[in-house]
Amino acid sequence: MLEISNIDVCYGDLQALWDVSLTVGGGEIVTLVGSNGAGKSTIMKAISGLLKPKTGSISFEGICVNKLPAHRIAELGISMVPEGRRLFPQMSVLENLEVGASAREAKKARHNTISWIYELFPILRARARQRAVTLSGGEQQMLAIGRALMSQPRLLLIDEMSLGLAPLLVQEISQVIKDINKSRKLTIFLVEQDVNMALSMADRGYIIEHGRIQSEGAARELLCNERIKEAYLGISPGGKAG
Amino acid sequence: MENVIQAIVSGILVGALYALIAYGLGLIMGIMKFLNVAHGSFLILGGYVSYWIFTLWGIDPYLSVPLVIIATFLTGLILYKLTLSPLLKLPDIEMRVANSLLVTFGVIYVLDNAMALTWTPNSRSIMTSYTGEAIDIFGAHLSITGLCGLGIAILVAVALYFILSKTYFGKHVRAATQDAEAASLCGVNVQRTYLISCGIAVALAGVAGVIVVSSYSVTPTSGLSWLLIGIVVMVLAGEGNINAILPAGIILGLIESASIFVVGAPYRQAVALVIFIIVLMFRPQGLFTGREQKSI
Amino acid sequence: MTANWKKLLIAGVVCALFIALPMVMELGTNILNLLVMLFIFIILSQSWNLIGGYTGQINLGLAAFFGCGVLVTHFLWKAEVPIYLAVLAGGVATVVLAVIIGLPTLRLRGVYFAIGTLALAEVLRIVMGNIFATWVKMPGSYVTTYSLLPRYYLGLVVALIAVSVVYFVTNSKLGLAMVAVRDDEQAAQVTGVNTFKYKVLALLISAFLAGLGGGVYAFYRLSFYSISLVFSPLWTFEPLMAVMIGGAGTLVGPVIGSFFLVILSEVFALTLGEAHLILFGVLFILVILYFPYGLVGSVDQVRQLMARASRGRLWKAR
Repeated sequence: MLEISNIDVCYGDLQALWDVSLTVGGGEIVTLVGSNGAGKSTIMKAISGLLKPKTGSISFEGICVNKLPAHRIAELGISMVPEGRRLFPQMSVLENLEVGASAREAKKARHNTISWIYELFPILRARARQRAVTLSGGEQQMLAIGRALMSQPRLLLIDEMSLGLAPLLVQEISQVIKDINKSRKLTIFLVEQDVNMALSMADRGYIIEHGRIQSEGAARELLCNERIKEAYLGISPGGKAG
Repeated sequence: MENVIQAIVSGILVGALYALIAYGLGLIMGIMKFLNVAHGSFLILGGYVSYWIFTLWGIDPYLSVPLVIIATFLTGLILYKLTLSPLLKLPDIEMRVANSLLVTFGVIYVLDNAMALTWTPNSRSIMTSYTGEAIDIFGAHLSITGLCGLGIAILVAVALYFILSKTYFGKHVRAATQDAEAASLCGVNVQRTYLISCGIAVALAGVAGVIVVSSYSVTPTSGLSWLLIGIVVMVLAGEGNINAILPAGIILGLIESASIFVVGAPYRQAVALVIFIIVLMFRPQGLFTGREQKSI
Repeated sequence: MTANWKKLLIAGVVCALFIALPMVMELGTNILNLLVMLFIFIILSQSWNLIGGYTGQINLGLAAFFGCGVLVTHFLWKAEVPIYLAVLAGGVATVVLAVIIGLPTLRLRGVYFAIGTLALAEVLRIVMGNIFATWVKMPGSYVTTYSLLPRYYLGLVVALIAVSVVYFVTNSKLGLAMVAVRDDEQAAQVTGVNTFKYKVLALLISAFLAGLGGGVYAFYRLSFYSISLVFSPLWTFEPLMAVMIGGAGTLVGPVIGSFFLVILSEVFALTLGEAHLILFGVLFILVILYFPYGLVGSVDQVRQLMARASRGRLWKAR
């Protein structure tokens, strides 16, 4: 469904990604993990159109998207939950959701979609008229996900969902994501710092370090991989944590 | 006592016109963080369009408003496409504002000279059957053109409020203002939203121009003084605070009216500008906003 | 070091040329008028260059400084003060005006400084227009003894002063501070630079130059039908155009830009008529949008490109 081939991405003169390639198949949950500054968010920005790769190509369902503006990519069916949520602070919960349904088809269906979002995250219905900036961190994350789902995407990108959230909340939300993936066959690509959570949710995973893909494989295998355990899970050889 | 009532009434009517001028300025500044100092010149342009429609086809200026709106809306689209959209690639807001100031300063030069060339530097104004006529209520003269101005200002205030809060386009505008990148991730075509907003803003300048040409007069270079009034009102209302523009305009009108008693008519503009400097120095967020910056 | 001597030599030759020219040739009133206006533009554009180009503060009230210089010089000269002293006094008076205008407005955030100065200049224009609602004239004796040559030389001298002042200021510690303020005011403040002080200094020197320019203009024009015209925003805008087109923040830029504006303006006026003004406006807009370094900067950019290209070739050769 999503194919990234050999992209280089730069911020001005600073190169952040070197020759990155990965694929996401329909219906999968794929994750990309790595430490801070490894290039995870850069990949998300490249896919969603906020950054343009210098070389290489990104194609979605056969269509080459790396030259398209972000809003066109959103219309094509890729929706992103950005890092830091990036809600519209002075607009209400309901209005945030409505803006998420800006594409024509999504706009027509928005009333149904909103009801579905309220089912997924009941707290949002309670807060419908409140301004987004008054919500708690967890509620904001739910709203951000809800907003991204309003456009009825076929690929959902999630950037650093767990940042700043209590572990219990993260579990709750990741369960909702897993359910949507199963029930709606929604393909999900998430980048995460919380390697444990990401690899437990996903079908497949990639590890990125210093702007280059280091490993890939089935999530279960990566979880058991010794090097990964040591580097990211703080489990030293011999099984002792910390 | 009669004088005071007259002063208050005139102040309100004039203030409504002032608010009308500020709407377009406030929209561009609030939404895109551009300062369009050519706003006054577009006002004059609107006045000229109305003048020629009246002179050539005899259409009453207030009836010709839709035509003026179309003409100035298109001008606004051109302004955005040619001179303002290249500035979007500047990352820093301060740089954006500063460069938009310089660029639109250039637009003033081009536009004012173009208008002088096309229509001569002579002053134009529209005289209709009701120019100079007034309604008398409680001993105060309410000029017909002033009342029209008040009516249009109220209409614009209501329309803008409605558009911004109830329509999808308005939501796109507010989303783009609060977080342009996030908006484009949601599928909002931010560039097109900016384009249309710019068109609306310049169209509002044109509408103000219709009132100016029928109540006062227009010359190709008089745009600057109207611009400064618009800026004063915008600063009084607070950057981005569209709903406060009508009250801010009326307050300015009242202050000006009152100052006539103190310093006399020729200096009333100077008084407004001095008030402006004082407000900028001591309360730059405007009279109507608290410490937090209000957003559209 | 040799580069500096070369530049100095060229400057010296050009100056000698301008000094000697009227003495060896009969230039005619048209050309002399043009050159006087050129000198005035060089003065005004260097004035704006100092506060706008080097210090990064967009001053939209240059006309106020210019007009002040015109007025003060005019009345002092009318009162039999020798013209050189009157022009100097015009400059000093403008510095006083700059203190009054500058101290409050320089505390405002960037764009509000620009609007504040624009507003203050407008206030001054309105007030002066009302106070001096009629002709501001010189007695007939001044008219009969009028000759262009003294205006030419006064203009040339003050223009040289303006360029020299900008040269010395920008090559001093003050100049470093000014550029620091322009490039990143916050960073400068954090490293302990008193940015307000330097902004004020830059504005005062800028005002002095503009006031001198006004003085030259008063000497040149003698009488004014409508004094509010010398406070017109055109006197801000056209020097600003000259600076941006020529290259803000350079020594030679404003000179080139002034030359461009004044001389080419004459040339185009003959062929295009009034429309040439529109052409310059469009050029200005293009410069702001696409060539922010002006003509001088573009030459530099071309030079850099060529240097990079030749370096590339050198590497390949190895």
